[in-house]
Amino acid sequence: MKLSLRWLQRHVDLSGIEPRQILADLTMSTAEIDGITRFGEGLECVVVGHVLRRDKHPGADRLSVCAVEFGDGVPVQIVCGAPNVATGQKVAVVRPGSTLPAVPASPATTARPATPIAATKIRGVESFGMICSEQELGLSADHDGILVLPPDAPAGARLVDVLPIQDHVFEIDNKSINHRPDLWGHRGFARELAAIYGRTLSPAPASVPLPAAGRQVQVHIDDHKGCPRYCGLVLDGVVAGKSPPELRYLLAAVGQRAINLPVDVTNFVMLDLGQPMHAFDLERIGARSVHVRFARGGERMTTLDGVERELAGSDLLICADDEPVALAGIMGGAGTMVGADTKALFLESANFHAATIRRSSMRLGLRSDASARFEKAQDPANAELAVHHFVRLLQRWCPSATVAGPLSDPAGNRVEPKTVALRRARLRGKLGVALDDARVAAILGALEFGVRVTAEGWEVVVPSFRATKDISGEDDLIEEVGRMFRYDNIPEVPLRSAVVPPARDEELFLVRRLLEVAAGDLATSEVYNYSFVPDAVLQAATGHATAAPYLRVQNPTAPDTTRIRRHVLPSLLASARGNLREFATIRLMEHGKGYHGEVRDQHGLPGEVRELGFVFATRQGPHPYPELREAIARLLRRVGCPVELARAWAGSDQPWVHPHRSVAIERGGVEVGYVAHLHPAVAAAMDLPTTTAIACIDVRALLRGGSVATKFEPLPVYPRLPVDVALLVDAATQVGAVAAFLQRIEPQLVRQVQLFEVYRGERLPPGKKSLNFTVTLGAHDRTLQDADEARYLGLVRERVAEIGGELRG
Amino acid sequence: MEDRHQQLRQQWLAAIAAATDAESLAALETRLFGPKGEVVELVRSVTTLPKEQRPAFGKASNQLKGEIEQALQQAMQRQRGLALQRELAAGDFDPTEPGPSQPCGSLHPITIVQHELVDLFTSMGFTWADGPEVESEHFNFDALNIPGDHPARESQDTFWLDDRNLLRTHTSPVQVRTMLRCTKDGFEPPLKVIVPGRCFRAETVDKSHEHTFYQMEGLVVDRGVSTANLIHTMKTCLRVILGRSDLKVRLRPGFFPFVEPGFELDVNCPFCRGDDGDSRGCSVCKHSGWIEILPCGMVHPRVLREGGIDPEEYTAFAFGMGLQRVVMLRYGIDDIRLFMGGDLRFLRQFPEVSR
Repeated sequence: MKLSLRWLQRHVDLSGIEPRQILADLTMSTAEIDGITRFGEGLECVVVGHVLRRDKHPGADRLSVCAVEFGDGVPVQIVCGAPNVATGQKVAVVRPGSTLPAVPASPATTARPATPIAATKIRGVESFGMICSEQELGLSADHDGILVLPPDAPAGARLVDVLPIQDHVFEIDNKSINHRPDLWGHRGFARELAAIYGRTLSPAPASVPLPAAGRQVQVHIDDHKGCPRYCGLVLDGVVAGKSPPELRYLLAAVGQRAINLPVDVTNFVMLDLGQPMHAFDLERIGARSVHVRFARGGERMTTLDGVERELAGSDLLICADDEPVALAGIMGGAGTMVGADTKALFLESANFHAATIRRSSMRLGLRSDASARFEKAQDPANAELAVHHFVRLLQRWCPSATVAGPLSDPAGNRVEPKTVALRRARLRGKLGVALDDARVAAILGALEFGVRVTAEGWEVVVPSFRATKDISGEDDLIEEVGRMFRYDNIPEVPLRSAVVPPARDEELFLVRRLLEVAAGDLATSEVYNYSFVPDAVLQAATGHATAAPYLRVQNPTAPDTTRIRRHVLPSLLASARGNLREFATIRLMEHGKGYHGEVRDQHGLPGEVRELGFVFATRQGPHPYPELREAIARLLRRVGCPVELARAWAGSDQPWVHPHRSVAIERGGVEVGYVAHLHPAVAAAMDLPTTTAIACIDVRALLRGGSVATKFEPLPVYPRLPVDVALLVDAATQVGAVAAFLQRIEPQLVRQVQLFEVYRGERLPPGKKSLNFTVTLGAHDRTLQDADEARYLGLVRERVAEIGGELRG
Repeated sequence: MEDRHQQLRQQWLAAIAAATDAESLAALETRLFGPKGEVVELVRSVTTLPKEQRPAFGKASNQLKGEIEQALQQAMQRQRGLALQRELAAGDFDPTEPGPSQPCGSLHPITIVQHELVDLFTSMGFTWADGPEVESEHFNFDALNIPGDHPARESQDTFWLDDRNLLRTHTSPVQVRTMLRCTKDGFEPPLKVIVPGRCFRAETVDKSHEHTFYQMEGLVVDRGVSTANLIHTMKTCLRVILGRSDLKVRLRPGFFPFVEPGFELDVNCPFCRGDDGDSRGCSVCKHSGWIEILPCGMVHPRVLREGGIDPEEYTAFAFGMGLQRVVMLRYGIDDIRLFMGGDLRFLRQFPEVSR
């Protein structure tokens, strides 16, 4: 919303205060201001010229050659193309050497770059300057002809001294006044400024006497919730001509296009008081009465923007008898609008239910200045006030206009004033600063709250324009006092509270350790993906398996991205694909949550898993699975959660896992995740190499296993003896079984069994592999000798049949 | 006999003088003093002489042996000294020559900053908490004083799910969740909690807008907590978070249904260092000199009641910080889409752990 400084000054004297200061002070006490622009900036170079003579251009029918003087009686020749230029007129002239300033785009003006004016020849006739139209001056979109000034404008004077043009315009951030219906008009901001600067707010528009009898349009309100109040008034003798400059330039300054006097006055009142109004051509309403009702499904009407709209039962309508003539609070109908020939008006100044207007406006995709105001919950008292304001203004500019009859106001204003108690102790407690009583009373008084001092504090009567939305309780008043005192004036005070160690959420700290260790020790990079998974990614990751139930977003940002992920892996695989175009080898991880709609908690929320997923992939070279397997084992030891990697993973919900090349991550026999080869079909579908290893840890399952306290083991007194053992076994024999065998044949001496190589090659018999171990022997009471090694190898040879193998070498 | 010793002396001293490197000196040492070395053989050859010649020969041989030994040791020491000098004067070292590359991982920049904030706030006695990203209408809206027809429900562009739940639009629902957890068995003040986490708003993604974003909520409930405390706490924290000693903050009105009064907290622009004086600012702060960084406020009594806390006995303040904003300010990142883009060329630029 735009605020004109000139307009604000109609309500409060702001002389001596810089516009930038006003911006700063409004920002600190009231609302966010996006910036200041100037209206009519640069027009100082435009001077009043007196047209002494107008002749036809000898070489062009549509051009005139004018003799114009500027107060010194010296005629200056200017060629002008406007049809309305005439001898004796006072006109706005830019003389050679000056530059007509640029005009910014707005609904009220036509954008144009800055134009330097020079002496020139037009069709062979010399011209020393330019006689301007309002459009050229950036004052309106009107380009029908030149701007004709009042006859008493002194020739040679600056235009800006003759007409009320130049203005400062504040651009308000609308989001910051959504909760303040009173700030959707100039008077509301003027009230704030009066309070900020301790100046006097001009009195509210006074009532005009309305006739006790006469012509009236009957008003029937079907739904008082949708329409708490509807004021209607008939006016005669209206001339729907052009509005006077003082009105048009104020409207133009705030970006409102001028239309005709009655419509311009309704807009002026709306921008002044925040009360939207609508003027109907009375002739088009005729003798019918007005009904405020909800639309019937399938009903249609054409709004004054020329669009035919299909209505729903939740849309509130203004009807003449049964014919819709306006979308209540949003836009008038095309058939009843005020035009140049309008002689009599039916003026509507109503109050509508905020949410009803907002929903209709959103449903229809039709936002107007009126709907923007009504959806903030306007003050029903304002509806009547606005009628009086309108009548007074219309009669000032159109003296022939008369009120034809009494006000129709079937509902009246039934809102009782609200009273709220403000306690001194509460005010002090919440702000953290003690304010003296007089200061508090002055602030509230300046904002037009009624204030009565009580023993505990104040009894505050909330003005109606603040009571519809934002002021309902004591703390709302504390805000009023605080913001006018200015929060910046509150001295800061450190918190004082008991010193207690904060409770620890172990899950969060475990995740943090996992991430930090994985980034460091495992050289893995953390990726964030959306919680939504695109259909194509899911299709590729799960295509060969039955689809699991996914939660879906009803209003997705893209139609193919509706599903909420169950697991982190699919999107992480998609990240891997992109990065493998840049890097030959990648290590990625992602920490995130997955949601399972088939499980619900007591609040009806879906089951949640917290996962840490890994992808190690390489475009060529050995499969990264063994690396990932050891990396995961090391990671989990590092975070105090040692695991067993021995059994095949038996999960079914994650079809991207290779069905036969996976190992479960287990703690005490409980599965907490897997390390695996990527399913080859998924690799193909996702355009990933088969040399892709994946892992996933269910963090909560991992946590349930508890953490293991490391136990110290005394250092060996006697040296250890490493023995290399190479065993030829069937290809299907598991390393774990062989290692267990090597351990159990001499449990007293074997300290560690470590595989250092698996050899599968041509030099071996078919269906065989060679497992090469280093077995570390150690005794607690002596130094081992060569004989001990020989004895151990002897045992291996003797019993190796137990595992169906043979000792090599 | 003397001649022989003299001859050998000259011969050996010449050999020592001729040996200039470590290898030839070592070889010479073996030749002279090894198991069958020439010096050793000379000394040993005394046994072959008639008895009467032995003392003189022995004495002369041993003397010669000592002399040669000393000469050789000196030569070797000199050679070691020269070798050391040569080594120290070596010009073939290239300090820019890298070793074999070490793979390096990285944490997401939002994770890094989140961990730092957690460290800061836990050091001040705050608990680190979390809540669900799929949230109920009740906790996301109703419990936060955002009733059914409140425009905030629409203006927040909520992602609604097909099961009537939603993706949380802010981390604020965890305020009430945490209060309920702390009041279940009787409330023991203070309650100080931070909740960093992922939030969602149905926005079109562009250079400066994301539908998935990170917030950090903070909540302090105690007896006598005031706006003055909020200002102090926020100022202290922001000074650390933004790493600026020139930090200025200003508190101005802001509206959020779950606080009353509500504030917007601005910091002076780190780029133009502007303030509200004559500064015209820069494009980052839109020429205001200030950057909006932290919406905050005194918790609304209705919200405290939802959490089982008596607003007459306790007061509270809350704040919410956009983490992307902080991360972008810190690293000078100008495109918000990079955070969720999963591109290693971006992510690998942050190899550090939290400070």
